Amino acid sequence: MSATTSTSTSATVQKWKPPKLVLGNPSFHDVTDQISGIVERRDTPIWWWVALGISVSMAGAFFIQMAWLFWTGVGIWGNNVPVGWGWPIVNFVFWVGIGHAGTLISAVLFLLRQKWRTSINRFAEAMTIFAVICAGIFPGIHVGRIWVAYWMFPIPNQMAMWPNFRSALMWDVFAVGTYFTASLLFWYTGLVPDWATLRDRAKGWPKKIYGFLALGWRSGNSQWKHYEAAYLLLAGIATPLVLSVHSVVSTDFATSMVFGWHTTIFPPYFVAGAIFSGFGMVMTLGILARLVYPPVKNYITVKTLELMAKVIMLTGMMVGYAYSMEMFIAWYSGNGYEQFVFLNRAFGPYAWAYWIMVSCNVIIPQLFWFKKLRTSIPVLFVASIFVNIGMWFERFVIVLTLHRDFLPSSWDMFKPTAFDIGFLVGSFGLFFTLFLLFLRFVPMVAMAEVKGVMPEADPHHESYHHATEKEA
Amino acid sequence: MPSLTNGNGSRPLYWRSEEQLKDSDRFRHWLDHEFPEVEEEANGDNPLKSSVSRRSFLGVMGASMALAGFTGCRKPVEKIVPYVTDPEYRVQGVPRFFATAQPRGTAPLSILVETHQGRPTKVEGNELHPSSGGGVDSFGLASVLDLYDPDRSKYPTQRGARRSMDEFIEFWRELHTGFIETGGEGLAILSETFASPSLWRLREKMRRDLPNARWVAYEPVNTENRDRGLERATGKKVQPVYRYDRAEVVVSIDNDFILSEPDAVRHNGEFGRGRKLTGPDDSMNRLYVVESAMSVTGGKADHRLRLQSHQIGAFLISLTIELEKQGLTIPGSGVIAGRAGEKFETEFAGAIAEDLYRHRGKALVTVGLRQPPAVHALALAINTALGNNGRTVLYREYEDTLPSSLDDLKTLAEDMRGGKVNTLVVFGGDPVYNAPADVRFAPAFAKVENRIHFGGLVNATARASHWHVSRSHFMEAWGDVRATNGILSIIQPQIAPLYDTRGDVEFANLIITGLDTSSYELVRETWFDSLLHGDKERSWQIALHDGLLESSRDNEGGPVVVDGGEVAFLLRHTSLHAQPITDGSYEVVFIPSGTVHDGRYANNAWLVELPDPVTKNTWGNTAVMSTKTAEKLGVGSGDVVAIELNGRTVQLPAYVQPGHADQSITIELGWGQSELGRVAKDSIGVDVYPLRTSETMGFARGATVARTGGYVDLPNTQDHGAMEGRAIVREATMETYKHDTKFAQHMVHVPNLDSLWKEHTYQEGYQWGMAIDLNACTNCNACVTACQSENNIPVVGKDRVRVGREMHWMRMDRYYVGDVEEARVANQPMMCQHCEMAPCEQVCPVNATVHDSEGLNVMTYNRCIGTRYCSNNCPYKVRRFNFFNFTNEFPDSVKMAQNPDVTVRSRGVMEKCTFCLQRINLAKQKAKAEGRTVEDGDFQTACQQACPPNAIVFGNINDPNSEVSKLRKNTRAYGVLEEFNTRPRVLYLAGVLNPNPKLKPVAVEVEPHGTGHGGGHGENGHSGGLDTGHAEPTDAHGDAGH
Repeated sequence: MSATTSTSTSATVQKWKPPKLVLGNPSFHDVTDQISGIVERRDTPIWWWVALGISVSMAGAFFIQMAWLFWTGVGIWGNNVPVGWGWPIVNFVFWVGIGHAGTLISAVLFLLRQKWRTSINRFAEAMTIFAVICAGIFPGIHVGRIWVAYWMFPIPNQMAMWPNFRSALMWDVFAVGTYFTASLLFWYTGLVPDWATLRDRAKGWPKKIYGFLALGWRSGNSQWKHYEAAYLLLAGIATPLVLSVHSVVSTDFATSMVFGWHTTIFPPYFVAGAIFSGFGMVMTLGILARLVYPPVKNYITVKTLELMAKVIMLTGMMVGYAYSMEMFIAWYSGNGYEQFVFLNRAFGPYAWAYWIMVSCNVIIPQLFWFKKLRTSIPVLFVASIFVNIGMWFERFVIVLTLHRDFLPSSWDMFKPTAFDIGFLVGSFGLFFTLFLLFLRFVPMVAMAEVKGVMPEADPHHESYHHATEKEA
Repeated sequence: MPSLTNGNGSRPLYWRSEEQLKDSDRFRHWLDHEFPEVEEEANGDNPLKSSVSRRSFLGVMGASMALAGFTGCRKPVEKIVPYVTDPEYRVQGVPRFFATAQPRGTAPLSILVETHQGRPTKVEGNELHPSSGGGVDSFGLASVLDLYDPDRSKYPTQRGARRSMDEFIEFWRELHTGFIETGGEGLAILSETFASPSLWRLREKMRRDLPNARWVAYEPVNTENRDRGLERATGKKVQPVYRYDRAEVVVSIDNDFILSEPDAVRHNGEFGRGRKLTGPDDSMNRLYVVESAMSVTGGKADHRLRLQSHQIGAFLISLTIELEKQGLTIPGSGVIAGRAGEKFETEFAGAIAEDLYRHRGKALVTVGLRQPPAVHALALAINTALGNNGRTVLYREYEDTLPSSLDDLKTLAEDMRGGKVNTLVVFGGDPVYNAPADVRFAPAFAKVENRIHFGGLVNATARASHWHVSRSHFMEAWGDVRATNGILSIIQPQIAPLYDTRGDVEFANLIITGLDTSSYELVRETWFDSLLHGDKERSWQIALHDGLLESSRDNEGGPVVVDGGEVAFLLRHTSLHAQPITDGSYEVVFIPSGTVHDGRYANNAWLVELPDPVTKNTWGNTAVMSTKTAEKLGVGSGDVVAIELNGRTVQLPAYVQPGHADQSITIELGWGQSELGRVAKDSIGVDVYPLRTSETMGFARGATVARTGGYVDLPNTQDHGAMEGRAIVREATMETYKHDTKFAQHMVHVPNLDSLWKEHTYQEGYQWGMAIDLNACTNCNACVTACQSENNIPVVGKDRVRVGREMHWMRMDRYYVGDVEEARVANQPMMCQHCEMAPCEQVCPVNATVHDSEGLNVMTYNRCIGTRYCSNNCPYKVRRFNFFNFTNEFPDSVKMAQNPDVTVRSRGVMEKCTFCLQRINLAKQKAKAEGRTVEDGDFQTACQQACPPNAIVFGNINDPNSEVSKLRKNTRAYGVLEEFNTRPRVLYLAGVLNPNPKLKPVAVEVEPHGTGHGGGHGENGHSGGLDTGHAEPTDAHGDAGH
């Protein structure tokens, strides 16, 4: 969805106005002031301390539970045979999915010249990194012998052991690892000019820290040239990762022989779902940022949110299509085992989870057909929460496919324990801790990039517009 | 202990420490308890976590061994301590097997015990002895765990205080002196049932030396109904010796002969082997079962009739009437003629009668111990009329056997109340817990002046006694037994007593003579005096080696003469009800537990966690009822019901059992002994003995049952009983089999599937494989316990069973087939299938599970990091995960029961069946040393060894002459889920049912395609996989077309 199409339908070029991506007509200096001000202010707001206190407690509980897990064993969760993977893997896939929006917004939308991305890309990327950190913890700690989890990596060793490259878990290690590295580099590259801005405004020891972080950025022409090239390259590198990470994560399931997992639809369906959930989380966070930092409203505009709502609606429908196609293929395959699995999802003991998933992921996004709803902040906020609940349940439904597989004799129920819930809550604690620290200490909107999409950055006569020509 | 003082008693002359010099309390304590920390550890009363560390345990054991030499000063040396210098023939690390026997009331079981460095670790069947026939059951297998039970009585106690055995002996001698004077006036021994020449000899001695004393026996699960019926009908005290191997038609009248009745191992083997089929022209036996609860035997039936237990006797009358219609004259049946109005289920009875008549002399009607004496007598009459008496069932007079007698128990209790018994020696057993409620044993017992209990565990009787004398495990002392068929065996100790205990024979001798003579001397005395002939020492040695005395084989029993008048008398005086209960009350049936029997194994963790073969419940008992009854009561499995009978109530969770008789509740005996030990304490079982009276030992009428509103999460290992139309357990009737010998392969289409990888060809060396004959398999569970014992499989506890974390590598899958009300059981032993295209191997990220060059799917524990991906991808779900450090939770003594040849798994790793790799390797080493290759018979896997009917066969598939190769070529062979290209190395031989064509057809889960009428399944449905030589479809379609 191009930012211009909504307005370019008007009759003549003369009447065309550049899209208002930033509200309130701030000058470049205002932008710098407003965004840097959040980082620079000395009086940390009370709400931040409260929120951080809650988040840190949750994160602390996360790590204490982890210590108990390491001490006793993975039996503290509800996992059993047949459900060998339980909530840890649900959480892993959930967080990896959340992590998708960042790369999509930064890389893909960048390549597609979607300028509205600039206001949200910084914190979307941050969110990606934090989500991938949360995601990465789960497969690591869910193994039975945590102290040898590094055997998953192909490290030459005296034991002459080598991982099994046929295993999708092996691919996972690489996919998630690559994704995290690329996202981090991409994020940091984008941050460099903004660190320099902060450095230039700071005094005393913060200046030294920002100076260190700015890597000697002087805003010179050649630096900008290299920066633009590097950013483009990184965007190019990151773009296939948007598709690859969740495709590979989906192969954890799709390459197995478990009915309900063993389907070719998984990679695209997982990617769509990931974008869906990622946008949901960006929207949640964006709305919260608007709430706590009113100046941010100028950058994360209702227009931006509306566009995101459209992406959510689109990917929601893709996910819905996948759900129905899974059902259709199960019926069409003529395979009783596969048919059973899908009927069991919809009508078995975990049907409630399936219908939560369908309601949240397929039905709720349909609200966005109505402009009134997709521009209403409360509606968007509630809907985005539902999207995330729905996507968590999607992964729950998928993992819980295990509970009834081939031999009915081994069918069993999975019951989460307090630790299962504790780890999920704890991972949110970690995520929000990191995110709050980010809000406080890192410019949450990419100042340099935002300036690039403001009218001032395009000093032409109103009737002639390079950018418009390119886009048209 | 006094301190070492000088002559005038003030200060020590020589002192060991300052403390002694000061004569401090601490030093005195130290002197009294020389090894206080050891004592504390040995008494460790923390039930779940024994405080004995491995190191200190080994230390104590080492010290005990070292001190063992000094025992020679006190008692004669019997060389059963571990060797100091190895004899030449003994190889370290190679287990040795010794024959012995497990005493079990009237029907002991001959076994071999595997020992490692003098430490018994596993029980196996003794092929030479008919009571075992090479097989063994879970009770026998788990007995080795009892030996190491940390809750065992380790020393005698007097009113709960620790005493030494010498102190008890001293106490007893004092009493005994008095008894010698009075001829044993006021002395009574209440023992368990035994069949032992030595104990019998001692009992005879008592009758001579202490004529006024008495020795009676009581067992809660006893043969009394049968004994009384047979004694009345024959005038002799006889017991039947069934020969299921000779029977072509078996009619079980409430007789669970496969699992819970005496001599079950032998019956199981003989019956199961009688169902083996080499081809469609071979014949197999046919089994009719009439019962109320679904038993293992009922699950194996070709035709099963569910009746309330009290109707079952009447059914036999109905059958008698039908048999007479065939022209048979049944002794004593005259009385039945007048009761013709009672005949019912005539169609079923008629078909059986015809079948029985056709198979005269090759048929067998057996009656379960719950049924009243008259039914047993009538069955004897029927068997006699059919010419089975002396052929398929032999009778043998009780010899060296003291069967249980309720009358004796009642008299004893009466005398106890009347003060006529001043000393009661409870010789094993637990009458306070399990005596019929109306005997009111406990209050009577409390009146006895000297109450002595002899037992291996501190049970209810022990707690109610003054003295509790610790009993040696049968693997710790000498003894002897006589099997039902008269064969004599010596109980040979496998290890020196671990604690301050006495064996059965030693204790009996002590009580009777006041002398603490060793069991070795006592047993040898019995045998050398009267049982051995010729070169006695040599015969003794051979009997020890073989596990039986060859010369005692010659009299396994014969026919008996039936007095029809007496049968008629019994029938006339027994009320048998043809009518089901209609007044809304319920029938309660008391059955021995399939896992803890009458309660004696309630502290045996292997058995307590062993899933019941039919209900799959563990860790407790339930009120088992039919679906209709459950509906009527408004309960589901787990809902607690209150059962009230004769003013007494018990509450226990319901379990809904397909195929159960309506309006009847079956409850297992033996549970609810929470004070027995740490395992029993953890059980959710309920003691139901309070409902049982001497009149209703088998079943009772007139109970009221109501829902209480409570709920218990049952630790059940199999939630789902339906096969969902999947061809997992493949079965067909004999008729289908004859028509289509490859029926099993026609149930599923196996396409031609290839491998992504280069496949191993196994052109040379070994290639292991297994074949399991589902027809011979009787669902007895022995393999499950055998596997547990062999492979150090941990017990996880009820809470972990509830969440699905049981660790059994081998499990018995149980499915119900057909209508819920009239369900049939289809069972299948399931363990790692060692798939050639193993799904687990593909997905392990660290190569921890791989294929070896002999076709085994091997698990490298050290490499496993525990992703559990393999388990997810295993379609058979046979992988087991160590969610915690289960092995570490074992009490130290239990660690002694572990097989040193099998790695103990730590937390966080996956484990599964290895096909007993350690046994394969031992056999390979042996063969290599002898310069040959491994052949059939060199070794058996643990499950194969235990299996009484030899349903499991393992061996080298590369050897075309091996049994397993032949079986895998059987037309009934199929692989479970083979359509998914897993290529399992375990092939199952599909079950064949042998229904009576006169009766309504039995249900099977999946019909073979291609032979059914109108079968639209084309040839392409049978093109690949195992079924390459397929030619029938055209014929089949020809049939279908016309």
